[in-house]
Amino acid sequence: MDSIKHINIKNGSNSLLGFNSLLFVIYGLFIIFIGFPIIYTFGTVLFENDLSNSFKLLNNATFSLLFKSLILASSVGIISTFFGTILGFLLYKTNLKFRSFFKIVLLIPLFISPYILAVAWKDFFFFLFGNSSIISSYFGVIMVLSLIFTPLAMLIIGSALSNINSQIEESALMLVSFKKMVFSIMLPLIKPALITSFVLIFIFSISEFSVPAFFGVKVFTTEIFTQFSAFYNHGLAIIQSTLLIAICIILLYAERKYIADAPFLSVGSKGTNNKMYDIINYRKLGQLFLIVWLIISIVLPFIILFAQSFKGGMHSFIKAFNLLLPTFTNSISLAFVAAVISVFIGFIAAYFSIRPVRVYKSFEWVLLLIFAIPSTIYGISLIKFYNQPEFGFIYSTSTIIIIGYVGKYTFISAKLISNAIKQIPNSIDEVSQIQGISIFSRLSKILIPIILPTIFIAFIISFIFSLGELGTTIKLYPPGTEIMPIKVFTIMANAPQALISSMTLIVFSVTLLMISIFYFMLNPFIKKYHSIND
Amino acid sequence: MISLDKINHSYDDKLVLENLCLNIDDKQLTCLLGSSGSGKTTILRLISGLETPLSGSIDIDGNTLAKDGKNIIQASERNIGFIFQDLGLWPHFTVYKNIAFGLMEQKSSDIEMKVMDMLDYFGIKDQMHKYPHQLSGGQKQLVAIARSLILKPKILLMDEPLSNLDVKLKRKILDYIKNLKQKFDLSIIYVTHDHREAFAIADEIVLMNNGKIEESGSVEQIKSSNNEYVKYFLEY
Repeated sequence: MDSIKHINIKNGSNSLLGFNSLLFVIYGLFIIFIGFPIIYTFGTVLFENDLSNSFKLLNNATFSLLFKSLILASSVGIISTFFGTILGFLLYKTNLKFRSFFKIVLLIPLFISPYILAVAWKDFFFFLFGNSSIISSYFGVIMVLSLIFTPLAMLIIGSALSNINSQIEESALMLVSFKKMVFSIMLPLIKPALITSFVLIFIFSISEFSVPAFFGVKVFTTEIFTQFSAFYNHGLAIIQSTLLIAICIILLYAERKYIADAPFLSVGSKGTNNKMYDIINYRKLGQLFLIVWLIISIVLPFIILFAQSFKGGMHSFIKAFNLLLPTFTNSISLAFVAAVISVFIGFIAAYFSIRPVRVYKSFEWVLLLIFAIPSTIYGISLIKFYNQPEFGFIYSTSTIIIIGYVGKYTFISAKLISNAIKQIPNSIDEVSQIQGISIFSRLSKILIPIILPTIFIAFIISFIFSLGELGTTIKLYPPGTEIMPIKVFTIMANAPQALISSMTLIVFSVTLLMISIFYFMLNPFIKKYHSIND
Repeated sequence: MISLDKINHSYDDKLVLENLCLNIDDKQLTCLLGSSGSGKTTILRLISGLETPLSGSIDIDGNTLAKDGKNIIQASERNIGFIFQDLGLWPHFTVYKNIAFGLMEQKSSDIEMKVMDMLDYFGIKDQMHKYPHQLSGGQKQLVAIARSLILKPKILLMDEPLSNLDVKLKRKILDYIKNLKQKFDLSIIYVTHDHREAFAIADEIVLMNNGKIEESGSVEQIKSSNNEYVKYFLEY
């Protein structure tokens, strides 16, 4: 069945022209408010200032640090992809019990701020060894980041595995053993997904700021942050950032097709004829692996934070709650507004991307590039551009935080929505065109209602990511603005461990609560829509 | 009369119609017959306005719809109905709303009466509150046809609409289609790759091969054609 590969933009009349103008206005505003600050910041530093001094500072120490960061990010990429492959296989290709439950629950680490797991594991090592020196190291950063990003690998690889046509596997099984089929047919077929998993996790790990900063481990992002915030050496910070961005873009380019299509960011795609296996001899081992992973990545950190928070009674928890109380409304409302805008722009970008015109598709690429820029660097770019008197209404208000969130997470909304649109048969829109239905009715009464579940899920993901965002927000938050992750992070340096654990536990719980509320509110509705659209 | 003159059309640099000339008489049921990739569906898409021909012109009753690489009259203004192979029923609308939606958007009067008449004619009144996924294959076909006819088109284009049905159901729907022409005062262009289907309903058959017309004429003329390709095609 043909999907909507393009929309006949010649059909229609004035309303269509008006709609196209609206699309371009949104694209233009995105470029002006989010794209241009990045270009401006890099352009100003690289072309206007005398950079000779800054270049001299790019010495062996900088390159040594870069090398260490590359090793760290590669290790996280390999470990996460390895475990993600095992989890992806167990959850998407076998008939183990409670697969649906594990598929959702194991994604939780991806949706909570990375520093929460860092705090929990530091507490755990302190409990075991009486000090936290083992975890406050590159080993600790690799371990925590691997636990956070393995669910992403699981999602990417699981999606690819479930899209292999069963006939390909069955033809191979007629000739060779199951093990041989896995290694010679299945894994080679999902090679793009394996590479994508490594590339994305590498980029996220090398861009991560909060975990190394919390463990006191010096990496490239913390160095950029120090140069910018402590030494005010903006030139060097930007040059270091350029190196990091160049690495990310080269890696993105290598796997651009698969990453740009992002088939793993798709709601309700069931795969074509997915074959499930009964791993009779390894069923218990597989089930045990899932349970152990659940304990390590979610249950244990939660129990540790809980135990640490209430070790000395309720005192720390109450203090933490009072400290965080003023941040709840602010954090939730900012994340809510940002998520609404992200979904709106994501829809426009998705609608652009399904048209066979290069200029339309470029919007999606702009979103991908901004998504891939390390959070700290993105924050620096926005702050440098908006820190001018004429932009006071943005710089000194929460608007700058919303701009930060929107730029960072619109790519995810756009990808989810465009993949949903691509699944709709071409004929559904063409019938409407022939019946003379206006472009606005086609969108509001046909297209949007059909993809409504995806729009809700895009909103939830943008909301949860925005709620926990730290790397960009820490550069952007105006004085006096109370936001959950910032409050926790700024207190971490000097507060007693029990207070830090309590605050982290509260943030963890609020995030889980929000996910649960959205899940229970929207799940029946999403299920109903899926059954109608099937 | 529908007239296609010197039409060229391509997809991604692959020429699918080459210098095609075709005249289709009014109030006839014309079957475009041919194997996959012969250009049958492309002709429907060009007549409907969903595609614009690279060159050549398309006229209906003397009005030029498309000429010199431009659609002069847009798809929405051609008063044409189109039944797609996958039907394209709107999954989130009930049967009633699928049929009524076009009228609602046109702010037509007596919508309920018109829709009920249509549901009655096709014998699907008892299905009006159901969603497409709750219907059988045959019922879905009838809803798609009813949805197209409710706007009173002059021409109905059908792109292999019965390809997913079993033989018994196919016969039943073919009977419906044969009667549509008189009942709704229509010209029908019906695309199929199955010559048995074409022979069962067509007034006129156009047999296509690789973007060109191999033969055209009545069922009897096609059956008795000496064209080698026609003989080869009808063997299978």
